[in-house]
Amino acid sequence: MNASFVYQVEAKTLNTGLTSQLGKKLGKYRLALDVPEHTADVQLYDCFDQTIQQSNRVLYRSNDQLTLISQNGLAITQPCDQPVNFVAKLAPGQVKTELADVSPLRALLAGTKGLQKSVQGKLLDGNAKTVARLSIQCWAASPDSNWHCFITFEPVRGYVKAQQAVLKALANNKALQPHQVLSPTLIFNALGYIPSGYDPKPTLHFKGKPNAITVASQIIHTYIDVARANEAGVIADYDTEFLHDYRVSLRKVRSVLSLFKGVYSAPQTISLKQAFSEHMNPTGQLRDLDVYLLEKDRFYSLLPASLHQGLDLMFTQFEKERAAHHHKLSKRFASQAYQQAMAALSAQFSANSNVIKPGPQAKHLAASYAQTLIWKRYQKVCKIARAIDAQTPDEQIHELRIDCKKLRYLMEFFAPLFAAKSIKALIKSLKVLQETLGLFNDYSVQQESLQAYLATHANKGTAQHIAIAQSVGALRSVLSHKQQQERDQVVAKFADFDNDTTRNEFRQLFKQQESS
Amino acid sequence: MKIIACYSNKGGVGKTATSVNLAHALALSGKRTLLCDLDPQGASGFYYRVKPSKKLQHDAFFKDVDKFTKSIRGSDFELLDVLPANMTYRDFDIFLSRMKNSRSRLKKALKAVNNDYDVVLLDCPPNISTLSESVFKAADHIVVPVIPSTLSERTYEQLLTFFDEHKLGKKKLIPVFSMVQRAKKLHLETMERMHKRYKKTFLNAYVPFSTDVEKMGVHRAPVLDFARNRPAAKAYCAIWEELKQRI
Repeated sequence: MNASFVYQVEAKTLNTGLTSQLGKKLGKYRLALDVPEHTADVQLYDCFDQTIQQSNRVLYRSNDQLTLISQNGLAITQPCDQPVNFVAKLAPGQVKTELADVSPLRALLAGTKGLQKSVQGKLLDGNAKTVARLSIQCWAASPDSNWHCFITFEPVRGYVKAQQAVLKALANNKALQPHQVLSPTLIFNALGYIPSGYDPKPTLHFKGKPNAITVASQIIHTYIDVARANEAGVIADYDTEFLHDYRVSLRKVRSVLSLFKGVYSAPQTISLKQAFSEHMNPTGQLRDLDVYLLEKDRFYSLLPASLHQGLDLMFTQFEKERAAHHHKLSKRFASQAYQQAMAALSAQFSANSNVIKPGPQAKHLAASYAQTLIWKRYQKVCKIARAIDAQTPDEQIHELRIDCKKLRYLMEFFAPLFAAKSIKALIKSLKVLQETLGLFNDYSVQQESLQAYLATHANKGTAQHIAIAQSVGALRSVLSHKQQQERDQVVAKFADFDNDTTRNEFRQLFKQQESS
Repeated sequence: MKIIACYSNKGGVGKTATSVNLAHALALSGKRTLLCDLDPQGASGFYYRVKPSKKLQHDAFFKDVDKFTKSIRGSDFELLDVLPANMTYRDFDIFLSRMKNSRSRLKKALKAVNNDYDVVLLDCPPNISTLSESVFKAADHIVVPVIPSTLSERTYEQLLTFFDEHKLGKKKLIPVFSMVQRAKKLHLETMERMHKRYKKTFLNAYVPFSTDVEKMGVHRAPVLDFARNRPAAKAYCAIWEELKQRI
């Protein structure tokens, strides 16, 4: 019923000439303002990957209230007297409901701070009757910076002339900038918000017709940066995704080294592989423990309550061990030796570096090089998958998973060189197959590592050990059953992936013509 | 949407004060409320600083839904709108009597605003006539302020008789004692007698005689706005609380 109009103005203080200027243009109407004495502190929140800002929303806390402003300028609030970290840990409320799309693994981090003040204005007629309302939302980055004031006009039902008078005065004021709604972008600008710019999967841009070594080095350089962007978050221990992203990025770097055969010289490739392994290995145990602790609730739900005692003991140990590993890795990340080693590695792959020794394939045109690699890998995936039946040993399934992963990496690395739409669709259909293979692998790995845990930990010979062994044994049998269920799905999922359209698309994009 | 009429067949019983303050209490409790000022004196509109409508001439109120909705004014209070009286409302009786199906016209006009309000409160003129009859039909409940005096007691009896004669549903009637002076023995006795006689029909809450109500004319606002913690303001809230249980 009440259409709103937003006008923006920047001012040093809130009691600027603006309102008196405006007041003079309102004819028989009088403007009355209620300016509060105090300003409220505002604290923005978002995940490290800026999920909230990317979806064009603002989340902030002010005076024990959590407010979410959506794209269309609508604000919802809920009380918030606890520290903000994960969406799941927020008290039930409208804001929590609206944040359902935020990953449960990502913590909400305190970001940009600012100040806010809400001024209420009333337009009065000769009877001192309110005939229109102005709500002035003021935001500032700091006490010294300019206030960005957003005047939202709210008409009162039945007072059309007053509405026209205000709108005319607002529109004629040259200092005011009109907007459709008080959007998150306007608030971000007012608070001087600088996005972290973190993107776990940055889009690569290759210039002209690059050769293989240029592409390889650019990918490696990019992913070293992505990995390093996560170091601080790992040390601060905000959430487990920092370490996960760190590892995924280094894994990608290592995939380039092993998949782009002949791009770097053989000795160079070996020494680089060695260097990155040395950075990857110290992160493995912490990640394994993170995964267990994330799976904690699920493990409990898989076992009857009678077997929970063993899990209690096991998870208490996990938590202790995790703290120790985290401490160790944080120290490593903060060390000068590590920082220098990473910086040196990164420098080798920068655009104007020529330290790296090229291999025989270095000057190969990237596009045709990519085609060869992807086509080969695709054929290998198909060959393994088509041979799978009920008797195939699990090792073959594992091999299929690894080849699918390599195929996916290759396609993602080289994606900028091919038609975006076609390659995106192929990656999407590959993802579905990979999900089943991924679960199959997770269940398998968890069984193995639980067994290994039992062999090495758990206070052997004690009553505690027996309780843990009972729980782990039961858990392994449940996981084994689940692994079998996923395995049974593999043939069907591959059949879905291996359709005529996908085959043709692969052929068209990646099979090179005889002439080339 | 509920339609509540505030009505009395006797003047000067605090009917407009009841309408104005009840409407404000309703809005404060979160009900989207439309107060229709049907009284030709336009006192409800005056208290809310809303000028009489020029658009609603004669039968326009009943015929032209667009004009009707355009004449609604937002009050200074959240969730509360006012439909201001037009001086020519005094002609309503004549127009209504000439119109066919007069008794359902008002209800039809009010249906046009069905989606905007939870409660429509009608401040009615004080005489039993065609308009009042159509109001009786349209309203879901009729709040009747009664001064606990002998004369008012008689007037209330007359109203009941009118309802009987015209086969109107007496259950709609919700009488409430108004302008009560507890210092007066007569008031207390009358209240006790009428409570006994009309078992459970009178509300237990009542409006006390109050200078705050008289000051509404000075402040041009409902008592809850300028004398929130005074007995009169509390009484209107209590009346709404009790009324809520009945409707």
